[in-house]
Amino acid sequence: MTEQLALEFRGAVKRGLRKVIGPIDMQIPVGYIVALVGPNGSGKSTILQMLMQITTLDAGEIKWFGETSTGILPTELKQGIAYVPEGPVTEENFMTVEEAAGFRAHWYPSWDHNRFEELVARFNVPRKERLNRMSKGERRKFEIAAALAIRPKLLLLDEPSSGLDPFAWKDMIDELRSCMDGEDLTIVLSTHIVDEVKRLADYIVLVHQGQTLGMFEKDMLYGSFKEIWVRGELAGIEKFAEVISCQDDGPSTKKLIVRDRQDDWSASHLKELQIIKSRSLELEEILDLWIKGHRPQ
Amino acid sequence: MWIPIQINESSPEPLYHQIETQLRSLIVSGQIDEGTLLPSIREFAGSLSCSVITVRRVYQDLESEGLLRTKQGTGTFVAKVGAGERDEYRRVAVQEALESAVEVGKSVQYGKEELKELFLKILNKKYLENEGSDPK
Repeated sequence: MTEQLALEFRGAVKRGLRKVIGPIDMQIPVGYIVALVGPNGSGKSTILQMLMQITTLDAGEIKWFGETSTGILPTELKQGIAYVPEGPVTEENFMTVEEAAGFRAHWYPSWDHNRFEELVARFNVPRKERLNRMSKGERRKFEIAAALAIRPKLLLLDEPSSGLDPFAWKDMIDELRSCMDGEDLTIVLSTHIVDEVKRLADYIVLVHQGQTLGMFEKDMLYGSFKEIWVRGELAGIEKFAEVISCQDDGPSTKKLIVRDRQDDWSASHLKELQIIKSRSLELEEILDLWIKGHRPQ
Repeated sequence: MWIPIQINESSPEPLYHQIETQLRSLIVSGQIDEGTLLPSIREFAGSLSCSVITVRRVYQDLESEGLLRTKQGTGTFVAKVGAGERDEYRRVAVQEALESAVEVGKSVQYGKEELKELFLKILNKKYLENEGSDPK
């Protein structure tokens, strides 16, 4: 199955004063939700800024829906991209919800005012308030509603849930999901919230020290490692490539973290040992191993 | 429509396999009727907290087994399951359960006769219970 690409990074580099982000090579197919995860300062926001051309590349290139842009992105293309930055933009600070909506409708011909009204009502965004007088969460909800109201082809969300209460968070997740149904929308979001990744993402990209460490299908990641408790002795158990760690855990019991292959490696190689218990690792544990160099396969 | 699938996150069994096995059993056992429109891929993935890629794979596998059919633009429906298939499925499900029960017996050094005796005892007890409460 050949899939259309929404985004393609080819050796994209941004050199900052303190650090270098890139070179990034990554392909994002149309119609999926991709989560960028990684520690603070790893470069997630910069990657999103590259896509908005807020940050210019020092090397390499990016293709948006198959189009490479040498200068500024064509307006028609950009009008299909919605972006919710980490911090709100100052231009709209002194506007009310209505004024900001009018401002955005001017720049985005696809602005759907009914949809915007519906989202503002659903998220309980105060209408009369100036944007800079809203609470952090209220402002966030406005930003998300306004981003969805242009019915984008590409939606970029930089830590969308920061500041949201759990109810608004759930509403946002539901809205994002329902936007994905039927339309050819592609979402790239950066997040620290494991639950958000679990509920939304199709693919996970791990960003670490300015590099992308790969892109994996989320559900394949779950099966990549497991923890098992074994009883008995097996000489040289630490030397197997599949065994990532081996710790004593009580009398004659060892706790192992192993790569989980579909051929059921542990059953055939550890048969001298009694397997007491086994479990798949949680997403955060898998990401932690990945950062430490144990790439899932 | 809501499909009662229970995912065990700590199970070492791959997610797509868990979903596929349960959906297949719901269809073949007749718990989901022929012609039922299944949720869209995105909707189903959302309710199971898995990716659309996994759900698509499950739908494709079950479609190639003849249990589902997809109508362009409308969605994925449950296909007709033959009586023969249904019987076969029931047999396989029971056989697997019995096999694993025997495995448990063997692992705690139960003898063949001992196991048979226990099995008959349980069998009689369970069927007597049923006849007592529901005389048919």
